[in-house]
Order: sequence, then structure tokens, then C-alpha cells
Amino acid sequence: MKINQQINKSTQFKVLSEDQIEQIFFASLEVLEQTGGQIFHEEALTLFKNSNAVVNGNTVRIPPFMVEEALNFYPRKITLRGRDKKNLLSLQKDTVAFGTGSDLPFTYDRETGERRRTRYQDVKNAGKLVDALSHYDFLMSHGIVGDAPNPQTYDRHQFMAMVENNTKPMVVTSVDGEGLEDLWKMGCLIQGGEEEFRLNPLFVAYIEPISPLKNDRTAVEKLLFAAEKKIPAMYTPCPSSGATAPATMAGMLVQSLAETLLASVLCHLKNPGMPLIMGGVTTLLDMKMSTYSYGAPELSLASAANTDISKWLNLIMFSTGGCSDSKILDEQAAAEQMTSLFYSYLSGANLIHDVGYIDHGTNASLESLVLNQEMMGLVKQFGKGINTDDDHLALELIEKQGPGGEYVTTDHTFNHWKEWYLPDLQDRSDYETWVANGSKTMGDRVKERTQDLLDNYQPKQMTQELKQELKKICDDADKRHA
Amino acid sequence: MNIDFERISELITKGQIEQLQEQTNQAIETGTEPAILLNKGLLPGMDKVGQLWRNGDMFMPEVLRSAKAMSKAMDILRPHLSKDDMGSAGKMVLGTVAGDLHDIGKDLAGMMFEGAGYEVLNIGIDQPNEAFVNAAIEHKPDVLGMSALLTTTMPRMGEVINSLKESGIRDEMAVIIGGAPVTKEFADEIGADLYAPNAGSAVELTKQYFAQNNS
Repeated sequence: MKINQQINKSTQFKVLSEDQIEQIFFASLEVLEQTGGQIFHEEALTLFKNSNAVVNGNTVRIPPFMVEEALNFYPRKITLRGRDKKNLLSLQKDTVAFGTGSDLPFTYDRETGERRRTRYQDVKNAGKLVDALSHYDFLMSHGIVGDAPNPQTYDRHQFMAMVENNTKPMVVTSVDGEGLEDLWKMGCLIQGGEEEFRLNPLFVAYIEPISPLKNDRTAVEKLLFAAEKKIPAMYTPCPSSGATAPATMAGMLVQSLAETLLASVLCHLKNPGMPLIMGGVTTLLDMKMSTYSYGAPELSLASAANTDISKWLNLIMFSTGGCSDSKILDEQAAAEQMTSLFYSYLSGANLIHDVGYIDHGTNASLESLVLNQEMMGLVKQFGKGINTDDDHLALELIEKQGPGGEYVTTDHTFNHWKEWYLPDLQDRSDYETWVANGSKTMGDRVKERTQDLLDNYQPKQMTQELKQELKKICDDADKRHA
Repeated sequence: MNIDFERISELITKGQIEQLQEQTNQAIETGTEPAILLNKGLLPGMDKVGQLWRNGDMFMPEVLRSAKAMSKAMDILRPHLSKDDMGSAGKMVLGTVAGDLHDIGKDLAGMMFEGAGYEVLNIGIDQPNEAFVNAAIEHKPDVLGMSALLTTTMPRMGEVINSLKESGIRDEMAVIIGGAPVTKEFADEIGADLYAPNAGSAVELTKQYFAQNNS
């Protein structure tokens, strides 16, 4: 009988201590109290004016107790449900889900090899791949529907492109409050009504402030609509350290947390208990090229720290990983994507988005989605940790096989080898076998798999009736904005 | 009594050793022709295993379990089979050359040959050249397999082949070599008949070799 045993069921990873988290939290409260944030939305300003906040023009300053009160109301668990009812996704502490990013204006054309504008069909294809690939738990649009009839209603068409070939939960972007309302209506049709949507939402609405500490009309409009209808929403600061946030990671975390906390108070004033999710694409401005970097290691470090903070605040976390600055899917892309996949996974963030991004968030690559499937598999193996029970310590077996023995034919091996990661596209063959199979690179195998899935994978389709109802919402929006 | 050959094949692919032994004994007791049992039950089972293995649908521990089932069934069947019944699945002498203490690769290859119906005499690790020659003289194998994992011990394989020539028995067997530093070029250089890059392909290459040389 053993006592005082502590067993790690999984790997342990943490960037910040509790004291550091408190330092950042208190600093954020001070930012809201002394500096405040700007809001460009009448109803929001009125909500703050009628509260204990101090409003001067567009600037709102918030006392700490309002933040503390608001934070008591946010859910620690939300269960999303995809178009296919079996695709449930529970968002809760240390449960990790991976998904794509959204709205990439360009697409790497697989036929011409050139960069071009993203189209409806590209988003449909991304949806198909994400539906087929097991390590993706949710879908963002990957690309932006650039061939929609009207840029002001593109979000409804993009939503259609996403749900046509995909049955998993989603994170959606919208043009404005009206756009989000249409997407929510479409979501309610798919889930079987407003109540069903509220219980198990089809999607989370992606909304972002403008760092530093600015909240534009459309963002606030979306946030307030989400609060009203209790649609899960993340308010995701996208600061670039050194440009729209301090150059220090700690300073960037303080500022982006202040941006999140401001939204938490606003949503609470609008409708207590709305499902707000904390977010952040916390990275830096590359000082050589003046680009917003998706491949910087600081993105991973700051995101993991942000996730530590989210757990301490009891908020669900939307984080970033699997993304790269490389213009094409090459060695740089794989190295950067793997780095952020690894750290975001270990951090325990709940929704990790932007998987497959290349070209610092401007270029969509379907092949990149397929490559990342394998990389997520590799990363997830790490979460399994090391089991140290008697069977796994294997003392009896070691004794039995003895010096010079072998393990490959034992029952123990037969029973346990499947606990290992099983490579799919990763090649572990010997040289001759590799040559005999055509000397293919990872890139070759990724291309073949991508084509194979696009040609042969059959996602579950919607009924024609549902499709028509959804299409009507798109058409009505186009008419209104004609 | 009717023997369900498909069931026997399935016991092989599933690696159900005891049940296969039982079925094999039963088949022989009830007068099933041993060669028919081999060709209609056991070998098709192993062919299926080979096919699943090549397609990546079966893995080493599973294949070895099937190979072991085959080997145990062959132990029961072998005394009842004539040399002709055996076809190409004959006898193999297998070992690691002098100065080299590695054995898992060689053992895996041996198990795969047993799975193909071969009777495998594994002479072990760190075997001097004459041990290979003596085993070859004594057991008259169809295949002689040698393994080396070190570049420093690779040359021993060429020396064994020369010794076989000096003893006048080189042409009575196929020589197959393997091991991480070994290549096809090296095999050609020292006059080996076959080189296999991994345990799984060794049996397949040997089968092809005999099929070509017997036709």
C-alpha cells in the first residue's frame, strides 16, 4: 500500500505563477480605472452612464468592483453542438479543441500554384477537409468569400459555404450586428430553434476590439446582440507588441486583459450571464518587416500566459496556434506551426484557432490544413503523459524476458503498443522502402491526401428544405443591401 | 469430416494460436491431406497477413502473432509433409555475424520466415564464420540469412560467403543479408543473392527469388 502519491495523468505546463497572474490582473484593473477605454456606440455608453462607471465623451473608466462583479457571472462550461448532433464540443478548463482560422483574403491555388483571391468554393473545400480530419474540433471559415455578391453581406454567404460541407461546431465572423443576427437565425434553423441554440449553440461569435483600448461601433453592436440573445462570443484583442501594445509581454497582457475585462462589464450590464469567452491573438510587430507576426515564438509564450490568466479568472479561453508567416507551405511553415501547436496545446486553451494559417494570416492553403492534422496528432500524444501503474512499469515482464530477451512478441506489447501515436502521413520507412514507394516528400504526401479527401470524402448533407430556408436569409440580406 | 479452410485462414490472420493448433490437430486426426491443409488453409491465411501488412492495415505485433500461429501449426504439420509438399517454404539457417551482439532484427526476420512456413534454425548472435558454414553443412538449408548492425562487422558476411564457396556448398542455398548499414550494393559486392531492407520484406523477396529461379 502506497501513500502520499501524486500522479500526473498528463503533462504539466504553466508560464505564470499565481502571484504573477494577480500582478497582471490588478494592473489591468488599474488600467480600466485610471486610463479607461474608448467606446463608439451610443447604447453602450448609455449602459455605462447608468452604472457606477465614469463616462467622459467616449472614454469609459470602470471601478474594479464592477469587474469583479461581472466576472462572477460568466459560464465555466459551454457545450457547442455541430450540425451533426454527434459533434459535441465541451468548452471547459484544460479541455483543448483545435480549429481553423478565418477570413484569409488570398488562397494558394493548388492548380496554378499562384496566390489569388479566396472564393466561395475554397471555403466549402476547407469545410470539407475540417469535417474529414479528426483532429479538427471546430471550423472557422479559413478563407473569406471574396466572390460574394455584396461585401456587406458576405458573412451570410460565407456561413453557407461553411455549413454546406461541415458538421462540426463553428466560430463565425460577421460584418456587423445585423450580420450576426442573420447568422444566429441561420444557426437557430440548423439547431432546431432559438432555445436549442441557447442550450447547445452551433457557433461562437468572433468579435475583436481595436487595440489599444478602442471599441468601434460594429464590434460593440455585435457584442451587445450576442449578450441579448446569449450567443457565446469571444472578444479577442489582437495587439501587436511594440506597436498597438507595449513591447513587453507583460505590458501587452495587461492591456489586452483590460480590453477583455471592459467587454465583460459591458456584457454584464446588457444581460448578466451571457456566455463570454476570453480571447487573444497576442503577438508582435516584426521590427524588420513591420508585419503582424503569426510565427513569432512570443505569440506562443504570450498566448500560453494568457491562458493561465483565463483559468484563474474562470473564463473559457480562445487561443492561437498552428500558424505561420511563411508565404508557402514549406519548412518554415512546418516549424512555426508546430511550435505554436505545441505550446497552445500544453497551455490547455479551450479553442485554439488559426490552425493552418500561412503568410501571416493572409493566405489560405488547404494543404496546410492537411499537414496540420498530422502535427496535431503528434502534439496530442504529449498530453497523454506517462502512466506509472504496475502494468505500465512492467517489472514482471522485464524479469520474465530477462537480459538479451525480446519484447516484440509478448502479450504486453500486443496490448500496449496501440497507446502510441500511429503515424499517418509521417514517413518512418527505411530508405529502400521509401525509394520503392516513389521517394515522396511530406509535401508530396500532403498534396495526394488533400486531393484524395476533396475527391472522395462525403460530408453529411443538409436537407434541401433547410438549405432553402438558409438561402432565403442570404437572399433577403442581399435585397436589403442592394 | 469437412474442414473449414476459411476458418483456419481466419485463425491465422487473427493470430489465435491455441485454437489454430486445436483445429490443425483435429484436421490431421480426421484424415485431411496435410498438403491440402497447408495450401488451402494455412498459406492463404499468411498471404492475407502479408497483404494487410503491405497495405499498412496490420502492424508488427499482430503480424508476429499470426506468424507464431503459423509456425505452431507447421510444427504439427511438418512431420506429415513430404519435401514436395513444402514447396518453397523450406529450411533456413539464420544468425548474426562474429563481433556483433545485435539480434532483434534478425529474430524478427526469423519469425517472419517461420510465419511463411519455414523451419528456421536461429544460430544466434556473435557467430564465427565457421559456425555458419557448419550449420549449412549439417542442416542443408534452402536459405542462409546473415545480419550485421555494425559497419565494423559487415565484412564478416562476405567472408562467410567465401567460406561457403571453399566448402563447395555455396550454390545449394540462397544467401540473404540484412541490417541497418547493409545495402543492395553491398549485397551484390560480396555475392549475396538477396538483400532485404526490413524484416517484413525479407520473406516476400525470398519468395520472388525462388519463383524466378525455379521457372
